[in-house]
Amino acid sequence: MASEEESAVKEPLDLIRLSLDERIYVKLRSDRELRGKLHAYDQHLNMILGDVEEVVTTVEIDDETYEEIVRTTKRTVPFLFVRGDGVILVSPPLRTA
Amino acid sequence: KSSPEFYVLNIPAPFTGILACLDGYMNIAMEQTEEYVNGQLKNKYGDAFIRGNNVLYISTSKRTLADGA
Repeated sequence: MASEEESAVKEPLDLIRLSLDERIYVKLRSDRELRGKLHAYDQHLNMILGDVEEVVTTVEIDDETYEEIVRTTKRTVPFLFVRGDGVILVSPPLRTA
Repeated sequence: KSSPEFYVLNIPAPFTGILACLDGYMNIAMEQTEEYVNGQLKNKYGDAFIRGNNVLYISTSKRTLADGA
C-alpha cells in the first residue's frame, strides 16, 4: 500500500490516516490486541474504534511441570475509545502465518 | 544512498523491518515488519506504525535477535 503523495514531510501519523475507516490491528501493552474499524485518531494515538474484538493473552506457568499455558480471552465491543499511551503498534489486519 | 535493509527496534518484543519514516517522537512507520519472540511469532506485512515511547533501540544490524541474543 504505497500512496506516494509527498507533502512536506511524510510522518508515520500521516500514514495512519490512510487507514481511516479501514479495519486495523492494534497491539497494546499488557498483551492485548484489538481488531476494529478505525474511526478517528490523534497525535497521541488515542483512537476511536468500531466493531472491536479484543484479545487478551495470558501465560501461566504450571508450578510442577513448568509448562507454559497460553490462554486468550476474547470479547467484542461495538464502540471503543482507546487511550494512546497504551498503544504499541498499529497495522492493517494481520495475516498470521 | 545506502538503503538499510533491516532495522531492529527493541520494544518489549524486537521488531525488524524496513524503515519508511520516523518523526520527532520516534514514532515509526515500517514495512515488512516482523516481530520476534523467541522464534518468529507474528509477520506483519504492509505498514506497521509503532508509537515512539515504546522504542528502546533502533539499529541497522540484521536480525541477530532471531536467536534471542
